[in-house]
Amino acid sequence: MTKRTKKQLLIYLGFVGPGLLVYLFIVAYPVFYSLWLSFTDYNPNKGGAWNFVGLLQYKTMLTDPYFYHSLKNNIIVVLVSVFGQIPIGFILAYILYRKLVKAERFFQSMVFLPQFLSTIVIGILWKRLFSADGPVSRIIQLVSHDPSAQFTMMLSPKTIMYPIGFALIWMYTGFYMIIFLANLQKMNTNMIEAAKIDGASETQIFVKVILPLLSGAIAVSTILAIAGSLRGFDLIFAMTTQGLQRNNAMVLPIFMYQTAFQNYSNSMRFAYGSAISNAIDVISVALISLSNLIGKKLNAGEEF
Amino acid sequence: MKKMFKTMSVLLLALGIVSIASAAGSKEAAKETAAAPEKVVVNAMAYGDNSNQEGVNWVRIVESFEKENPNIEIKYEMLYDEAYHQKVVARLASGDVPDVAYMGADARWGAPWKEAGQQYDMKSLIDPEMYNLDLIPPMGPNGEIYEVPLGTSNITTVLFTNEALIKSLGFDIPKTYEDLVAMVPAAKKAGLDVVSIDGADGWAWGSCYMSAIIARLSGDAHWVSKAVAGQNKFTDQVFVDSLAMISRMVEDGVISKKSVLVDYGTNASNYSNKKALFMVQGQWAAGGIENPEVAENTLLLAWPKLPGEKTEMSGSVAAAIQVGYGITKQGASDPAVRDAAMKFINYFYSEPETIQRLRDGAIIAPILKNYTLPEDLPIISKRKVELAKTAKNTDVIDAFLSGAANDALNAGMQKIASGQATPEEVAAEVEKLLRK
Repeated sequence: MTKRTKKQLLIYLGFVGPGLLVYLFIVAYPVFYSLWLSFTDYNPNKGGAWNFVGLLQYKTMLTDPYFYHSLKNNIIVVLVSVFGQIPIGFILAYILYRKLVKAERFFQSMVFLPQFLSTIVIGILWKRLFSADGPVSRIIQLVSHDPSAQFTMMLSPKTIMYPIGFALIWMYTGFYMIIFLANLQKMNTNMIEAAKIDGASETQIFVKVILPLLSGAIAVSTILAIAGSLRGFDLIFAMTTQGLQRNNAMVLPIFMYQTAFQNYSNSMRFAYGSAISNAIDVISVALISLSNLIGKKLNAGEEF
Repeated sequence: MKKMFKTMSVLLLALGIVSIASAAGSKEAAKETAAAPEKVVVNAMAYGDNSNQEGVNWVRIVESFEKENPNIEIKYEMLYDEAYHQKVVARLASGDVPDVAYMGADARWGAPWKEAGQQYDMKSLIDPEMYNLDLIPPMGPNGEIYEVPLGTSNITTVLFTNEALIKSLGFDIPKTYEDLVAMVPAAKKAGLDVVSIDGADGWAWGSCYMSAIIARLSGDAHWVSKAVAGQNKFTDQVFVDSLAMISRMVEDGVISKKSVLVDYGTNASNYSNKKALFMVQGQWAAGGIENPEVAENTLLLAWPKLPGEKTEMSGSVAAAIQVGYGITKQGASDPAVRDAAMKFINYFYSEPETIQRLRDGAIIAPILKNYTLPEDLPIISKRKVELAKTAKNTDVIDAFLSGAANDALNAGMQKIASGQATPEEVAAEVEKLLRK
């Protein structure tokens, strides 16, 4: 190794080393630890003894009805994010970019506003809106002329994901709108002008010019939406009260939390909780790979 | 590249100079501290937040204690509600055990400490001249005391009664369930709820409601603990009948259908704003009645006679051992820390602080010896003491039942109240999960 390459290597390590160490200790170590934990019966509160239990935690998980209930709710959250937040964010960004409304700065700020608020604050806000005799119930009472009418969607596992989906769209659409707006603003406007000269309509410009050019941003947004949806905990936790509502709206991270942190009657709860969090990782990787594949098939033109 | 190397070298040199300077500084500081007596650091986990009395009082007490005891430092982490429980589990699991912590001895407040083997018998540390030992119940199998309760037993099933509002509708204090039912039409006409409960919170159904009902209907103050121990079954007819009382109360209009959408804060505020004749909650909710007129007119009662209740349990209320601050095994392992921790606990439970807790409505009665009750104590606090003196105490469900079975029971009662499940279904699920 020459003196020059040695120097280069030292510089390279100087730059990469600290980040790599942080990654190994903060990200990689917990992932591998969790993987090991899920194959044992280890409970750190019960001393250092542990046994290898094979796939026991995963078998328990796959026979637990709460796992499937949580998975179903998580898939709903993913669908709301991918087919709700992203298209709406895209449309809003397009409207603002093409100046189809007046006072676009005002609308841009309004849609992005939830991003400035704490998720817990937003959760409590929506919880209040949907509570007994809360604003939503008052509107229902006004419309139905029934003073006892209440907004009861939060009480049923069949309906609870509607109000939660609505809140999720309200909260995160602004984030995707900003991503699309930034991409639209860096786009070469000559292409749009050329399309206009060729007599293309607004719809044709949107479908044939803008949409293909933004396919990369759409794919990135999809990955962000899937990853965010699967680890989503805070908003749903804050929006629901302990008991029936939280059970109805249970997603995998809440299921994992309740199992590992609250179920004292299960002495293997930390190991079981790790199995659930590993399942979240596996599902995330599978869904992100799928979206990547679809992105490539649609000629996204970018590697992610 | 050379330029970059030079810049990096200058930066590293500067960093080295700063490190040497600070090391020299800390050596000087070490010399200074060597002369002073060694400071004992007590790591504590406190319960409260900056917006409630518990938290505000904790900060004030720590500050004044440290001023009076400069050789002791109380290093604390203060959390409230679910965040507290979550952090306790995380800290114990990671081995970061505090020396002093807010804890209990039951299935909810004591379970993580018990599991981690961190419960420490404080009996030998508790000064019998300061505390009335008759008021501190045994918490372990051999009479161990794991924490100093903030007050005497914690009544969880109080029927807060707005006497003035009831009288304004032309009724008297109810003696039977039928008396409550008779109030429904008049209350409805006036746009009021009869009994308000924070039914959106699952725990409220277990701790504040069902704990009273099962004892009344079974005639056994310890039916729940016996069921957890396997002597009774949650599928027994008496428990199913107790669960059926929920649907009966909802059908009769005694408890509103919308109660499953009412959370803790809204429940207290509804009662405080005269929107309900009664409120079901634990004794601690007395401090949350912010309307002084309502607080003045509030009687603290047990549920009136219920249909099918056994006479031996008439007028009973469910009560658990009050939570408080305890020293952990880790804290007790170092005698200096243990003594400093006990000194702080005694300061925390001193007469003025305990009386303040009584005024704030946080406790029923002190566990101290020879204290003087101030004459200007709020009337609601005096009534609380009266209830504690007269009512028989029964088991609180979540002091014995925990985990998935307790969650299923709480959510199940919410399902019954909202017409989504039958008492039989809920009872069967609880029994199945408990015996799993």
